[in-house]
Amino acid sequence: MKDRRWIALCAIGLIVLAMMNLSDSASLRVKGVVRDGISPLQGVLRGGVRELREIFRYIRGIGDLALENRALSEEIVYLRGEMRMARELDRDNQMLRDSLEFVRRFPNRLISCEVVGRDSTGWWQTVRLDKGASSGVTEGRAVITPDGLIGRTVSVSDRTADVLLLSDPSCKVSVRLDRSGVFGVVSGLGNKPGEQPACRMDYILRDADVVEGDEVVTSGMGGLFPKGLIVGRVQRLEMSEGGLYQVAWVESAAPLGELEYAFVTATEEDLAITEPNIPEGFIPDDDIQEEERP
Amino acid sequence: MTLLSLLFWLIAGGTLQVLVPAWRHMGQPAFPFLLGVVLYAAVNKKARYFVVTAILAGVMADSLSLAPLGYSACAFLVAGALAVLLRADFYADKARTVMWFGGLCAATSTGTMALLLRMKGLVSLSGSAIFWRMAGSAVLGAALIPLLFGLMRGLERRLGIWEELG
Repeated sequence: MKDRRWIALCAIGLIVLAMMNLSDSASLRVKGVVRDGISPLQGVLRGGVRELREIFRYIRGIGDLALENRALSEEIVYLRGEMRMARELDRDNQMLRDSLEFVRRFPNRLISCEVVGRDSTGWWQTVRLDKGASSGVTEGRAVITPDGLIGRTVSVSDRTADVLLLSDPSCKVSVRLDRSGVFGVVSGLGNKPGEQPACRMDYILRDADVVEGDEVVTSGMGGLFPKGLIVGRVQRLEMSEGGLYQVAWVESAAPLGELEYAFVTATEEDLAITEPNIPEGFIPDDDIQEEERP
Repeated sequence: MTLLSLLFWLIAGGTLQVLVPAWRHMGQPAFPFLLGVVLYAAVNKKARYFVVTAILAGVMADSLSLAPLGYSACAFLVAGALAVLLRADFYADKARTVMWFGGLCAATSTGTMALLLRMKGLVSLSGSAIFWRMAGSAVLGAALIPLLFGLMRGLERRLGIWEELG
């Protein structure tokens, strides 16, 4: 009986060790299968949660109105509800217009994605996007919003991609100050709920010209992030412990805690992988619109 | 049937794990949905069910995060093994006992995971940050795991597959 128990324990240990030592590609494949398997269910539940939230907001609105004036007719309540929904739609509309304008302005090809989840383990500062390799998203690409850089893709499955946010200590970005051209490296400060800023800029020479409010942009060095993306603004300055460098606390330009949409930068090669086979002579609708644009 | 019910809870737990972000306080610990299923199997089911559940839950947890494959399985197995060891002497099917078990095992699981991730150099947390996070996990475990146990037991009773482990 004791022998059997030891054999079982050894077998379990071997299984776990084998899992820990799987090759990167095999590990990614296994992870991809689980993530892609769960993502439809996650989508459905997220939709449900969003609907519930809307209903709750609507009911709360009705409750407030009832408190204000119980004599208000049902029609007025209905109309106010409609107005509230219209305002919500208007806000969404404006946000989408801004996003579209941003995509038109940006020189790189962009893949528009919805943020479908945040890191649930708490070990890393990540968000999950609803698009993956099948849409042309690849690992190590910059992820941006109209407000600025938010991070880079780190783990991509067929239908989802994880983004390591600027606020994660392991996300390091080579940056420069837009005004003075001073270089440095921005890294995240990790989990500091409610605390700002989210990042700090290190390795700024002690005599460098830096002032509070300076805009921090990507330097383009290292090749990972395109040059000139807005990262944030210098909030305050300090000298490093040894007094050799200045340290700037940077407030990220993008609201890292309230992301709804994001864009993954893509190269032509990334997108070529996912281009469908189009029959000769076929003109897609998008191209027709493109030609008609002034 | 037992395995099917555990699989159902694993999928449900995995989905909830993705949907519910980590708690913003006490070191940002995760809500222990998957750990709850593993502990349920450890305390109420035969050893083989517990091992299978811990490994599957681990694969699921690692797939949904940036952790390398196998790390969460290791953490779940350690926490579950602790529950199995203490089960005979301390465990009683009462909310308060489940609460203590949940808190202790959640902290153990977080501590094991932190150790593995630090050894691999994947996170740079100080000892006090890890301790704080373990305390956060214990709070979440103590609050959530009795509820999960109640739900799972309720379903098993309705399905007629609930059996008292002797």
